[in-house]
Amino acid sequence: MDLIAKNMPLFLMGLERTFQLAIATLALSAILSVLMGIASIVRWRLVRWLVLAYVEFFRGVPLVVNVLFVFFAGPLLGISLGPFQAAIISFTLWGSANGAEIVRGGLNSVPKHQITSAMALGLKPWQIFCYIQAPQALLPILPPFTGLFTTLVQATALASMVGLTEFFRAGQIIVERETMRTGDNPAYLIYGFVLLTYMVICSALTMFTRRLELRIGQRRGKGVDRTRPQLGSSRRIEESV
Amino acid sequence: MSYKFSFSYIEASLPALLQGLLMTLQVSVLSIAGAICVGIICASIRIFNVPVLSHVVRAYVHVIRTTPILTQLFFIFYGLPSLGLGLSLYWSAVLCLVLWGGAYNTENVRGGFIAINKGLNDAARALGLKRLQYLWAVALPLGLRISIPAMLNTSISVLKNSSYMQVIGLAELTYVAMERSAMDFRTLENFAAICVLYLMLVWGLSFVVRRVEAQLHKPFRDGR
Repeated sequence: MDLIAKNMPLFLMGLERTFQLAIATLALSAILSVLMGIASIVRWRLVRWLVLAYVEFFRGVPLVVNVLFVFFAGPLLGISLGPFQAAIISFTLWGSANGAEIVRGGLNSVPKHQITSAMALGLKPWQIFCYIQAPQALLPILPPFTGLFTTLVQATALASMVGLTEFFRAGQIIVERETMRTGDNPAYLIYGFVLLTYMVICSALTMFTRRLELRIGQRRGKGVDRTRPQLGSSRRIEESV
Repeated sequence: MSYKFSFSYIEASLPALLQGLLMTLQVSVLSIAGAICVGIICASIRIFNVPVLSHVVRAYVHVIRTTPILTQLFFIFYGLPSLGLGLSLYWSAVLCLVLWGGAYNTENVRGGFIAINKGLNDAARALGLKRLQYLWAVALPLGLRISIPAMLNTSISVLKNSSYMQVIGLAELTYVAMERSAMDFRTLENFAAICVLYLMLVWGLSFVVRRVEAQLHKPFRDGR
């Protein structure tokens, strides 16, 4: 306990970095995934295929490989990246691939008859999108996006692999330092504390997601039944890393 | 800076990479099997509300799902030995993946158990089936069928997450690629090669999932 209290400044610094990373990634991913989500429902087949290829590629490759690749292969291609930038880029590539799936799912969840009715009323395609599809898709998109944020907070631990001192790396440093100094290994204590902190943060975020889901479910006039799995899409959003 | 992509290098490093792939597959298959067992057992404990164990399972699932797998791995590999539970590199990796996949599978299987008709439980009681009999004869055949696609997805994630094990130095695919890159500075070639290998595995498995799903859908196709 003493050890944790003594190293609080380092932990807090790491935690700040973790949040910076997660929020920056979320912002970038959100922009990219909205663009790609829209691109995945346009008429041109080539665009749709490109988005599909992007999404499938970054969802298929393990995030570990992604992070290491961006950091270590960047310099060979003439782009030297610091750990922070490299982490943001690789998380964004991954986050936007998952986000694009969320946005696409949201847009597709708008009932077909809404669109055909709008067409019958003579609305132009962009009007249909702006006035009919987008507003209705927004609500079902929100909860999975907060879920994605929770996952991103967990994913940021990976930045420790490329040497960024975020929360998890802070723990690592403390363990190494203590082992060198005193000889006995406080790993279980420090990593236990790290584990607990992540748990508290992510539990809070998960709870927020669940409440959002309920609220939105009420607004749409039907409760969200989380327990009942639909025998359906295998195209699932990554829940954790 | 000019960098020549060399296909002959990939060809030369393929045997080493395949060795790594073998390790990845070995660990993954073992972990996936373990995770499915853990999932079924824990889900059964929860569905029957076994007094103390039920809460333990709940806590376990919650902890695993709300923490990064990297911290879990470090806790298991570096933290447990000082608590007197030292495991070898290989078994730490397997334990970590089994615990991770098991937590997700618990939720998957539990979802399947809940989804099957509640009336079935009452019917089984009326027929005088014991809990285990109900589990074996009713809940598992029907519930598992529903949860199989989700479990396969979790299994794919377990396979992908086996790449985390390079951090503790398990000689799986990513580790081999990292090591070879450090030796020859051929990062691009090595990572391109392992990307292709991972994608082949993941896409291949996703294809299987979709096929299985289509099969499982059949009885429900014309309105249940």
